[in-house]
Amino acid sequence: MAAEDHVASGDLRIAAEAGRPFIEVRGLTAAYDAKIVVRDVSFSVTAGEHLSLLGPSGCGKSTTLRCIAGLETPVEGEIVIDSEVVFSSQRRINVPTEKRKLSMVFQSYAIWPHMTVFENVAYGLRTQGVRDAEVRNEALRALRMVGMEELAHSSATALSGGQQQRVALARSYACRPKAILLDEPLSNLDARLRTRMREELRELQRQFQLSTIYVTHDQEEAMAMSDRVIVMRDGRIEQEGPPLEIYDRPQSRFVADFIGAANIVSGRIRQPGSGQPIILDVEGTAIECAPRAQLPRPHADGSYMVAVRAVYAELRRDAVPALANHWPATIERRTLLGDLVTYAVRWPGGTLRVHGFPNDLFDEGSSVHLHIPSVRAILVDAD
Amino acid sequence: MSVAASGAGSSLAPQRHGARRVGAGVWLPLAFLAAGLGYPFLLLVANAFNVGDPQALPPVEYGVANFVSLLDHLDWIGNTLLVSISATILATAIGIVLAWILYRTTVPGQRVFEILIAIPYPLGPLVGALAWSALGSPQDGMLNQLFTSLTGIREPLLNIYSVPGIIFVMAIFEAPFAVLMIGAAMQHMDSALEESSTVFGAGKLRTAFRITLPLMLPAILSSALFLFTSMMGAFAIPTMLGTNARFYVATTAIYVLFQSYPPNYPLAAAIGVVLILITALAVWLYARVLKNRTHAVIFGRNYRPRRLSMRGWTPALLAFECLYVLVSLVLPLGVLVLASLQKSGDLSWIPTNWTLSNFHYVLIDFPTTREAIGNSLLLGIGTGTLGVALATTIAWTVHRSNSTGRRLLEQVTMLPQAFPRLIFAFGFMWMVMSLPIHLYGTLFAVLLAYIIVFLPLAYRGMSGVVVQIDRSLEEAARVSGAHWGRMMRTVTLPLLRAGVLANWVLLFMISVREVSASLFLSGPGTQVLGPAIFSFWDSGGLPRVSALAVVQAAIILAAVVAVRRLAGSKAEQ
Repeated sequence: MAAEDHVASGDLRIAAEAGRPFIEVRGLTAAYDAKIVVRDVSFSVTAGEHLSLLGPSGCGKSTTLRCIAGLETPVEGEIVIDSEVVFSSQRRINVPTEKRKLSMVFQSYAIWPHMTVFENVAYGLRTQGVRDAEVRNEALRALRMVGMEELAHSSATALSGGQQQRVALARSYACRPKAILLDEPLSNLDARLRTRMREELRELQRQFQLSTIYVTHDQEEAMAMSDRVIVMRDGRIEQEGPPLEIYDRPQSRFVADFIGAANIVSGRIRQPGSGQPIILDVEGTAIECAPRAQLPRPHADGSYMVAVRAVYAELRRDAVPALANHWPATIERRTLLGDLVTYAVRWPGGTLRVHGFPNDLFDEGSSVHLHIPSVRAILVDAD
Repeated sequence: MSVAASGAGSSLAPQRHGARRVGAGVWLPLAFLAAGLGYPFLLLVANAFNVGDPQALPPVEYGVANFVSLLDHLDWIGNTLLVSISATILATAIGIVLAWILYRTTVPGQRVFEILIAIPYPLGPLVGALAWSALGSPQDGMLNQLFTSLTGIREPLLNIYSVPGIIFVMAIFEAPFAVLMIGAAMQHMDSALEESSTVFGAGKLRTAFRITLPLMLPAILSSALFLFTSMMGAFAIPTMLGTNARFYVATTAIYVLFQSYPPNYPLAAAIGVVLILITALAVWLYARVLKNRTHAVIFGRNYRPRRLSMRGWTPALLAFECLYVLVSLVLPLGVLVLASLQKSGDLSWIPTNWTLSNFHYVLIDFPTTREAIGNSLLLGIGTGTLGVALATTIAWTVHRSNSTGRRLLEQVTMLPQAFPRLIFAFGFMWMVMSLPIHLYGTLFAVLLAYIIVFLPLAYRGMSGVVVQIDRSLEEAARVSGAHWGRMMRTVTLPLLRAGVLANWVLLFMISVREVSASLFLSGPGTQVLGPAIFSFWDSGGLPRVSALAVVQAAIILAAVVAVRRLAGSKAEQ
């Protein structure tokens, strides 16, 4: 409910801004030594939008972020922040980091060990030449937001990981930046703390409505916090869209694999006729797939791939013969994961991973009926 | 898993634009070292092949006659190797045991012993040789006199004027360096590596030999290499303890050839070249052994090494620590203080017979020693300041810039380590004499030589400091709107402060105690403490030379106290 409200207000806000991009990256290419790590990447962030750059390590996401911050100099491309061109290879513009009026949270937090918590947070304000009284107010306000007010005058080295994280967040919000860049800010925290900080970050984001670019390799983080997600791979953008769209309609096998648990089934296309549903033939078993304007890129051997999310495949005790994509199957193995149960299900097309819930368990070896709704069978680009 | 993956990602972080240029941070230090190290080396080699007029510079005739005549004196080289190798092994063994007791066992008193064990190194071989000749001389050494008066046996207990004596004194005064280096590696070792060995059924001894020792090997070898080079160039101990027994090593032979009339420079240079070849061979062997080994393997993150409880062994290990402190610190300093208070060369235990006149003499009355003290302080301050500045610049360039040639710079910076200091100073002396500007016989020439010979040590220290400062600390300042100058002032320099001060004090101490590098370079008007103590030992009598050595020790101890204070304030941060 709350999330829906937020999406609604977000939509209004974006509408008010008339979709004007606040940060724009065009044709960004970055390299170190001879190795190109970001290739011709273009995207934009609207005002107040939370964008995540998601991908495995080495995909170029951090480099992209650092180029926006001005910590790396791209080989080519253009970066515009709030209508100001901060980098342009053609026009030979390169605004230094400190003049870009951004703020950044580092993976290592980068809390200065020789300063107190307060001095860390006040640093950005002081560089802006803000008056002392105001610096005090603003810094303390930022610390209050993250619940660190009491520790304002303790040494920064005495803090735990979670506390350092909070100080880093307070520091980046306190200096009233145009946008906030976060480089894997939660990856050094343990799982429980990570979940909590995720909520807190989302809350801060909601309060300040600042444009945010968030780099992560954790799909959960990206899903939970973003208005839009860009999945990167080998220095390129693989797919871009709202979290649910990326989850439901992965473009490629890579995205399907990287986000969530998906089964990849490959076979031959039968009947690519007009108006007819696309049928994938998996060793004699026909799967009806979600409609698609164009066929995806096939594998080198000519086969096509379909991604089926483990949560979207359904197991039933009784047959519903009227349904399409409906087969008798056997539970081969059951693994209890806590909140989820995962089954290895033997069906005519091979073995499928299917998620269920612990409230309705199927026994190993039992016969079931497998149903894959045709809208959940997504044809994807092969690698 | 996720941390490891992202860590690898950040280490791949691309480098800044404009990487292709060779920055001033690279070529300035390179030019300095090429001139200050390369030219003396060339002169040394040229002189070694000089078969014409021994005074001619550059030589007019070249040949290998010097090396041929060196064949008659192979015992010099043999003695050098005997002493250096034995003392290196002994010092390394002492270092391993002490480091292990300090950092891997629960033997009490770690904080106290950590300090006490470190002190003999800055006190140095000169003080050590002087003190041990007063303690262990077969005729009137204090220990031998004590032994005779206690037992009535006339035979001396020990004779320090012997090969074992030389090896012993060299080893105990260089061992703290091994403790420092090996101890650092031991403190960083992930104890899970040892624990897993125990889990798989290995006993303490097996774990120590199969796991701990191999993991420590890079640190042990690196420290052994440093000690070996340092001992190849050792001068004070072999001279003061070996000359009586007509036992010559390469450095003492060079000194004798240099002092004789007419001086035989070419033969001395030939000995120097052979010594450098030997150290180069050692460096090569070291690199070969460590090939394919990465030091990084042993470093865990935030591990607090588990310490072994030694139970019944504790008293024995504690006794070993005490024994080391006794022979390397308490006895030497004690005998020097006692000797410095005497009216004559005989040691009297009765305080009423004591006098402070020796201190008055060396500090005030005698201009040479007075000057030497002042000059040494100046040199210490100068070497500390310029050496740390240069080392910081190089460390910064190597670890933080993308300048081409920064790896070369690092290797060249470490190169002086392969030169025995006395040999380097010998070549350096020729260089300053051959220069058209008046540099020979000035304090500035000594300063330059000190900076070059101590650069590897300073660089090693500052590298550790620079590497520890995470790059993102500076980047965070930039993103927060600080320009370069403000970043330096508010973030970089404050973070460097403690490390800079600690390394400054280290350079100060080893400059004040240095004798090998200044022996040929100091002279009338540019007296410095080390050579002054040495020449005083020849002529001044035990009480006065002891007083001078006590003054030197006091300066160094004051610096030790200062560095502990700094380390303390750093720990508080």
